[in-house]
Amino acid sequence: MIVVRLDDLLYERRMTLTELAARVDITVANLSILKTGKAKAIRFSTLEAICAVLGCQPGDLLAYDPSVGSEP
Amino acid sequence: MTRTSAQSLAIARPAIRLLTVLNALYALVIGGLLIWSFFIPDWPYRPLGFDTVNAHPMLGGGLRLIVVFGLLGAGIVHTILRRLLAIVDTVSGGDPFIIENSRRLVAIAWSVLALEVLRLIIAGIAAVVWEPGRIDAFSFAPWLAVLLLFVLAGVFAHGARMRADLEGTV
Repeated sequence: MIVVRLDDLLYERRMTLTELAARVDITVANLSILKTGKAKAIRFSTLEAICAVLGCQPGDLLAYDPSVGSEP
Repeated sequence: MTRTSAQSLAIARPAIRLLTVLNALYALVIGGLLIWSFFIPDWPYRPLGFDTVNAHPMLGGGLRLIVVFGLLGAGIVHTILRRLLAIVDTVSGGDPFIIENSRRLVAIAWSVLALEVLRLIIAGIAAVVWEPGRIDAFSFAPWLAVLLLFVLAGVFAHGARMRADLEGTV
């Protein structure tokens, strides 16, 4: 399963989800879907916007963990 | 969305509701006439002005059968209008590409096909008991509409699958 480490990155930067949403121009609802692992896909434009604001690489945000089960 | 399609959608709901009422009125009137025909003396010759000598012996029964098929047709039209209204509501709601709309369009296509079959039957009855060519049997446009509706149903089904693919995308 693809794991999203958005919580960790936000914590390290002392940023809230609402602040990130305002800066990347994505709704809090959509970012929340991403944060809680309920997203089925992410657009490159979304990934680019988040990485630009958080100053990270896609690999910092996303990771593959085979030990965690995938959603059906 | 083009201006024409936006305008069409705006008037679709009231237009469909009006057609539903008119269809129901039509069914009530012809149903009433059907019942009335059993109480009118010398029907159909005197009230409809048919020549009793030259008229087909099954004229009265044939005309009543046409009315029965007309009532059946009104019932089919009602189901078409109901499904069409449901589709229009999903467009107004902003989410028309659902598999349910594809199913509704398929059902509407079969209903229009059934109406055309009814028309052929009615024209056949009229040709036998009344006068050949009195009621138009065949018109190309409704058959083309049936084909168009089946194609549209396929388009909506594909759209629903594409929409489902996008669900959960951020």
